[in-house]
Amino acid sequence: MNSSTANPLIELRGVIKVYNSLAGSVTALNGIDLQIFPGEFLVVTGKSGSGKTTLVNILTGLDRSTSGEIWVNGEPLHKFGTEKAARLRGRTMGVVFQTFELLPTLTVLQNVMLPMDFAWRYPRREQRKRALSLLEQVEIADHAKKLPTALSGGQQQRLAIARAMANDPSILVADEPTGSLDSATAKAVVDIFEGLVQQGRTVFLVTHDKDVAKRGSRVITLSDGEVVV
Amino acid sequence: MLRARWYKVVNDLFGNKTRTLLIVLSMSVGLFALGIILSARTILSEGLAESFAAINPSSGTVRTAELFDEDFIESVRSMKDVQEADARRNVSARVQTKSGEWKNLTVFVVADYDDIRVNKVAPQSGAWPPPEHEILIERAALSVIEAQVGDVILVRFPNDVERRIRVAGSAYDPAQLPAQIDGTPYGYITFDTLKWFGESYGFNELHVISTHPEDKAWAQQVVNRVKDKAEKSGYTIPLSMTVEPGQLPMNDVLQGILLLMGFLGVLSLFLSIFLVVNTVSALLTQQKRQIGVMKAVGGSTMQILGMYLVMVLAYGVMALLIAIPLGMQGARTLSGALAVFFNFDIHSMDVPPQTFLIQVAIGLILPVLASLVPFVASLRISAAEAMSSYTMGRGGFGKSGIDRLLSGANVWFARNFSVRSILLSVRNTFRNKGRLALTLITLTLGSATFISVFNVRASLSSTVEDMIKWFNCDMMLTLDRTYRAEKVQIEALNVPGVTKTDVWIHLPTRMIRRDESESGMIYMFAPTVHPDSLIVSPTIAEGRWLVSDDDNAVVVPSAFLQDEPELHLGGDIVLKIYGKEHTFKIVGTYVGMAFAPMIYANYDYMTRLTNRVGEADALMVTMQSHDEAYVDAATSALEDHFERVGVRVSMVATINNERAEAEASFDAIVALLLVMAILLALVGGLGLMGTMSINVLERTREIGVLRAIGASNRNVGLVFIREGIVIGLMSGLMGAALAVPMSQGLNQALGLAVMGVPLTYSYSMPGLWLWLTIVIVLSVLASLIPARTASRLTVREVLAYE
Repeated sequence: MNSSTANPLIELRGVIKVYNSLAGSVTALNGIDLQIFPGEFLVVTGKSGSGKTTLVNILTGLDRSTSGEIWVNGEPLHKFGTEKAARLRGRTMGVVFQTFELLPTLTVLQNVMLPMDFAWRYPRREQRKRALSLLEQVEIADHAKKLPTALSGGQQQRLAIARAMANDPSILVADEPTGSLDSATAKAVVDIFEGLVQQGRTVFLVTHDKDVAKRGSRVITLSDGEVVV
Repeated sequence: MLRARWYKVVNDLFGNKTRTLLIVLSMSVGLFALGIILSARTILSEGLAESFAAINPSSGTVRTAELFDEDFIESVRSMKDVQEADARRNVSARVQTKSGEWKNLTVFVVADYDDIRVNKVAPQSGAWPPPEHEILIERAALSVIEAQVGDVILVRFPNDVERRIRVAGSAYDPAQLPAQIDGTPYGYITFDTLKWFGESYGFNELHVISTHPEDKAWAQQVVNRVKDKAEKSGYTIPLSMTVEPGQLPMNDVLQGILLLMGFLGVLSLFLSIFLVVNTVSALLTQQKRQIGVMKAVGGSTMQILGMYLVMVLAYGVMALLIAIPLGMQGARTLSGALAVFFNFDIHSMDVPPQTFLIQVAIGLILPVLASLVPFVASLRISAAEAMSSYTMGRGGFGKSGIDRLLSGANVWFARNFSVRSILLSVRNTFRNKGRLALTLITLTLGSATFISVFNVRASLSSTVEDMIKWFNCDMMLTLDRTYRAEKVQIEALNVPGVTKTDVWIHLPTRMIRRDESESGMIYMFAPTVHPDSLIVSPTIAEGRWLVSDDDNAVVVPSAFLQDEPELHLGGDIVLKIYGKEHTFKIVGTYVGMAFAPMIYANYDYMTRLTNRVGEADALMVTMQSHDEAYVDAATSALEDHFERVGVRVSMVATINNERAEAEASFDAIVALLLVMAILLALVGGLGLMGTMSINVLERTREIGVLRAIGASNRNVGLVFIREGIVIGLMSGLMGAALAVPMSQGLNQALGLAVMGVPLTYSYSMPGLWLWLTIVIVLSVLASLIPARTASRLTVREVLAYE
């Protein structure tokens, strides 16, 4: 898709995030302007502390920016409270974390069903079918009844991706999804993201792994809270 | 099929069984205590009311010095304001127990046991009515006289006739004070048996029911009219009294117990709620990351809040399932025990449904409300913050002045001695100050209550001592009439072991109010007032004690001035003595027991006023040794000597016995208080265990660090055990301080409920040391399981922990 002609799915305008602590103020994001277009596989790289995770938190509404605007699907996320942000996230975004963040007391299947339950998006019976279908897509349907702790790291990340896909979001946001995985497993996980892009989804992936970054359709680099490339 | 979020709730509930058990137990303890109290109150109140109604209780009693017959009873029955009247003979006899000790025995003689119209006595076991030349004993009195049905006992009447008489059965007489409390057993015989003892026919005790028995003031007027009628008929009235409408004897003590139980029940519930808040806060701390994840995948605050509230409701339901049946059983056991102690029957142990409803409402609503505060605080933080990576020193240690002090940098011994591991425990204690505060509140209240119970026990003893110290003697004898004081004293001094004697007279009086109405019976005690008197001044609240040249001076109980507002210190009081009115001046008020008002006046003046100069009807004796066995032996010798010289004794009271009986009457209260205190200690212990478990969970990574740098299992475990001991000791010491006002409050409430005056305050140091020992043991036990868990974690587990 031609990114210059389509409307951006997510747009950040002059986003600033400052953390205040006893040690003083730290500017994590310093005036970020960014557009993410439908069908893009946008990769964000940067050194540790460059502001990558903060950027993920801000554009998913997990945290609030100090100033600036975040538009998601034409909706002003920067004006939303936590409740509205949670609903928007549930409908339009799937989030994948480096440390998987699966709920340990739910089975693999139930972990995938949970976002659908929160979003009231599908009837209860369909939730189960859909969850199984997503698990098949990431090739862990055989483990549906297991608890996440019984899975390997790669399988847990596949589960996290399936969970992120639960509500059929238009964009997947992944924060260092391969950071906890060995290179072979990491490659398989990135293959999944690539496959999803080929199916027409948008992926926003944060990584510091150069091999992973190479696979993005667009790569930007953060340094000291600013987009440098 | 459940929704996915409810699976999480179910799995959280049953996945962490220890945590669930801890929360459910904490809630159960409070609900159990509440259930016991609510149910026991209902069972006891209804049982009391039914027992009391069943005996057709009297409004008052009039006792005569001379005997009267059925004609007089009929004349009283025909009085306009008298609903019913009945009479019996009351004889103050003596009984020899199996151990050879002589005890007072009140013998009632009833004309027709199957037609008792007032204060009915019911058969309990054995024969009914009492057969000729045999006796029935009140069921609560059998143990006091150390006898069983079928035994033969030796009874001595005031006319010195002694008979061996068989106990043919037992009777139930709830109108009397239980024998184990007031120390006086009761027996029941027929007039034939009375004749066998050499006594003539006739009654001396009239029980009257007024036309409006529920109105005490009216009942008193009616009783006074009956008394006036008796006096006009030529009878001397040594005693008349009105009873509290609808109340059995010792009702005040029972109400006092219920009051205290109510207080402790509310307290334990309060502590349980603290515990729930503490545990729920800890649970949320533990689940903070999961809450962040749920927010990240689209969960709204209300959805997540709903999940956790349902979880707390589930804890409440489980706690109720434990607490309701246990509380019901506990209430039945407790009610049964109290009914035996206070000697009344409970006909129904049914617990009304509203008791369960209250328990259910409290069990479900209060924990939810209590949990809302930590829930809202926890749900307010952003998802990103909730999911932020683990950092060392969670809890923000290091910011406050206390933290800097505990860091050891400013403490010279910390710099100079190897106390690092101990300091680590002390510092850890203060890391999560909110949780520490909740744990401390729970355990401190438990500590304060435990120590307060011992303080109340000590205060009861002090009050009894205060009361008894007025009587600077070993034994008191009440004589059947007045004797020459000099003769009685000389005869007493002839008995080996008797070193000093003193006399007094006692007079039944009534106060005449300005509106001409009369009070109930007031006892006037007139002891000698000189430097060698064996009665010393009671604790004076205001004014002064009697002096030797006092004439019409009286000292009254301070509570009496509150009951009779027209009286005041320095003012006059008009007393009716043997039908004549005399004006006295109130020179002082004393603090003390107020079962019945007692007024003190000067012996010399009162004997002149009543034309009994040089006479006495009571004797006090000091023995060579105050040892119980010695006093008992010398008392028996004195009684035998008096019998030989023709001085008849109607009542004997040794100070040792009086003290023991007074203290025994409070044993039930103290035992109950102790049970409740143990429950509270249990809640506190559970709270501490919860806190320590959460501390272990929260510091799992830190434990890994400690082990990685070479800490042994013992080292890791000790960090937590020491932390538990620090919390336990802090709460123990704070509880010791809080026990001061708490026991003062309990003394005030209990004293006023039972005696009409607050108890004499006393702080029990043995109670304090006992609790400090218990709290250390409790702390070690509460920390042991979490410490063992901590020490068993492998480095792999702790590094994998989230």
